[in-house]
Amino acid sequence: MSRSLKQVAVLLVALLCLDPHGRVGSAPICAHGPSGCHVPSLADLFDRVIQHSARMHSLSNDLHSEFEQYFLPSKNHIGKIYRKCHTSNILTPNGKENAQKLAREELTEVILKLLMAWRDPLFQLHQSMADQQDFNSFSSNKALEMGDMAHELRKGVEKVAEKMRVLGMLGNSVTGLSAAEAMLPLSESGEAMSDYELLYCFRRDSNKVQNYLKILKCRIVPEHDC
Amino acid sequence: MRNSGAVLILTFIAKLILQAAGVSPPGKPRLTSCRSPEKETFTCWWEPGGDGGLPTTYALYYHLENSETVYECPDYRTAGENSCYFNKNDTSLWVNYNITVVASNALGKNISDPVEVDVVYIVQPNTPENVTAVVVHDEQGPFVRVSWEKPRTADTRSGWITLIYQIRVKQEKDEKWEEYDAGMQKYYNVFSLHPDKECMVQVRCKPDHGFWSEWTQTTYVKMPNYIPRERSLWILITIFSIFIVLILTWTLNVKRNSMKLCLLPPVPGPKIKGFDKQLLKSGKTEEIFNTLVIQGFPPTTDYENLLVEYLEVYDNEEQELVLDGKELSEDFMKSKSSSDNDSGRGSCDSRTLLLEKCMDGREGSGSDQHQYSQHGETSWASTESSESQGAEPGSPESTDGRAKTWPVVFPQPHHHYPVGAVKPAYHNVPEILNQLSPHATPSNYHQLHHQDIPQQELRFSKSACRHSQSYNQFNLDSIDTPAPGVPPLPSLEYVEVQRVNPENMLLLRPLSDPNREPERSDCTGEDYSKVKVVTSHNILLLQRDTSHQCVDDYSQADQCTTQQPPHPCKPAVHQWNSVMPQEGMRVMGNGYVDSTVLMPSF
Repeated sequence: MSRSLKQVAVLLVALLCLDPHGRVGSAPICAHGPSGCHVPSLADLFDRVIQHSARMHSLSNDLHSEFEQYFLPSKNHIGKIYRKCHTSNILTPNGKENAQKLAREELTEVILKLLMAWRDPLFQLHQSMADQQDFNSFSSNKALEMGDMAHELRKGVEKVAEKMRVLGMLGNSVTGLSAAEAMLPLSESGEAMSDYELLYCFRRDSNKVQNYLKILKCRIVPEHDC
Repeated sequence: MRNSGAVLILTFIAKLILQAAGVSPPGKPRLTSCRSPEKETFTCWWEPGGDGGLPTTYALYYHLENSETVYECPDYRTAGENSCYFNKNDTSLWVNYNITVVASNALGKNISDPVEVDVVYIVQPNTPENVTAVVVHDEQGPFVRVSWEKPRTADTRSGWITLIYQIRVKQEKDEKWEEYDAGMQKYYNVFSLHPDKECMVQVRCKPDHGFWSEWTQTTYVKMPNYIPRERSLWILITIFSIFIVLILTWTLNVKRNSMKLCLLPPVPGPKIKGFDKQLLKSGKTEEIFNTLVIQGFPPTTDYENLLVEYLEVYDNEEQELVLDGKELSEDFMKSKSSSDNDSGRGSCDSRTLLLEKCMDGREGSGSDQHQYSQHGETSWASTESSESQGAEPGSPESTDGRAKTWPVVFPQPHHHYPVGAVKPAYHNVPEILNQLSPHATPSNYHQLHHQDIPQQELRFSKSACRHSQSYNQFNLDSIDTPAPGVPPLPSLEYVEVQRVNPENMLLLRPLSDPNREPERSDCTGEDYSKVKVVTSHNILLLQRDTSHQCVDDYSQADQCTTQQPPHPCKPAVHQWNSVMPQEGMRVMGNGYVDSTVLMPSF
């Protein structure tokens, strides 16, 4: 008798689970407008985005130093051959004045370009790290996380840009990024870059992104931490 | 060909000459560090490698990554000796600089190892400025508020550089600095500082990716003298506890008597049936002891003393004499503890315990009359008798040879105690002879030859019992049975307690003592031997009495054969009468104690 009861109970539970209406769904936040919930301000958005970029950069820093420590026996700088990073085509300001001279829109665009350019190479990097036995799983996980963060960061910056556009701070000169902007990390010689080179380049680029975001933030919402 | 050879030789010779003169090309310079204070300019320093005795000049060359154009250092002066300062125009971020230093003098030049530098990663800001420390008085106590400003050169306003700060504090006479992280804020409150002490404060900062700056100059601040709140709390607690202690003391004082009753309950007085405390108080000892004696029991009309006891002596090892109070039970025959080396167990534990045990043992063994007496330090004795006594210790029904640790005087080794015969009164002496048990069976009973008993008195001194208790368990037989009714039971012997002397010794006298009343068989006394003293090894030393008469029935022959040396075996009869020098008891293999050993008479 108890056995059949158990079976009935299991069936009921299964039905409840399978029933789409019984399932708990996630409602979108602020579906009913600003009255129901707290809409993050631009300053908050900027803060989140900057924190995100800081985390991304620290990850890339860790991976790069790990690489240097374990896989490059010689610290001889002469031996290092750096190929150009694939993002060197993107014109980025290399100083404070240059960065401050850029308009907000351009700066935003540069940031987005950079992040876009790294979408595929980071995925590639993670793949190659996971394939090789040399890397422990911790490192390849970091690479994966890094790629995800870059993706999230790009989305975040796009949201910020959207917000700014809504608030009228940005002109309409920000062009949408097309798929053509996505570049493959091919060096001049046409060979794919090594993992170390990728890491080296990404470390630098993530630093750029972080810096530009900070400048942008202090230019647009200067009251916090500026 | 010849020319080049000649040139080489000449150069070589010139070098040798120059070396002899002490001059040489310059040593290799080395770039020590490059630092950028605000991520907009940077400076590189090198150390010379030795000038070789000649004036040497240094030049710094660099080229950017992936570019072959070599530039020379734009500014050798601003940053001081052996340095190169790159201003804003010459500084590019996120670009690797490949820098080398060339040292050259009249004799040659030397190039340092190249160094790759990316300005973004060599940022070390200047120290923070305007560090101020102020004492702020708060309701919870004063604390120090330290505030400072960012280094002038760092541009945090535009977000170009982000600095985090750290402060460290040391009070005078402390050894270590206390470090605190202040994050991006420019002030910090320092608590938990001791009053009336001088406090030193330093601050430094760091960009989010870079190096820590140097510590600022020490700022001093003096803490005021105040009583910390904690201490006042402790004072309050102390006062409160003192108050409580006082109250408790007063309460205790008031309830002094009841406390005494509770903690030190009065010792209960003796509870003896029929014992009158008032009599004790009145101090008439005669009356007291009279109350202890049940009139008419035992029928001791002709006895001078209050207590008349009988000693039952066994000679048969198979007779079990349960003398140990603990073994008293109806099943004492099959008692388990055959191996006890007990000396006084049960008897020496406690008077009451013994009494209980004796009471227990009394049930069901027949119509024995037991008389118990205890001679202990308190020197009170109680006698009890009842018709229905339990299994007496050492009841003659015992057939297995496991007697307990009571010494038993046995008349003959092979005699059996006839069942149904008059139960003799026996004497239990705890711990007296508990060591003398070489018998195969772990029995500790001791058998005294009764051969030299008659007309001897068994004297039991205070036993070696720890508690100085020795009790005699007496079994009064039906004394009214005429002595002839008592067969000259070779296995039974009787000892009569003559008296209790002041030393708590039982003076025993064989029933065959000629001093006794004639209804007693003379020959029952032949089984008696006088115990002289109990030695320290719990050996019962018997005394031979020269006045023994009834020895004829005994033959010591078989005992003699089993006797142990040193004594030569003596003919049976004569053993009784000869006085031997003082010797110890001989323990025979079968557990008997040779009572032929003489003790000096007392």
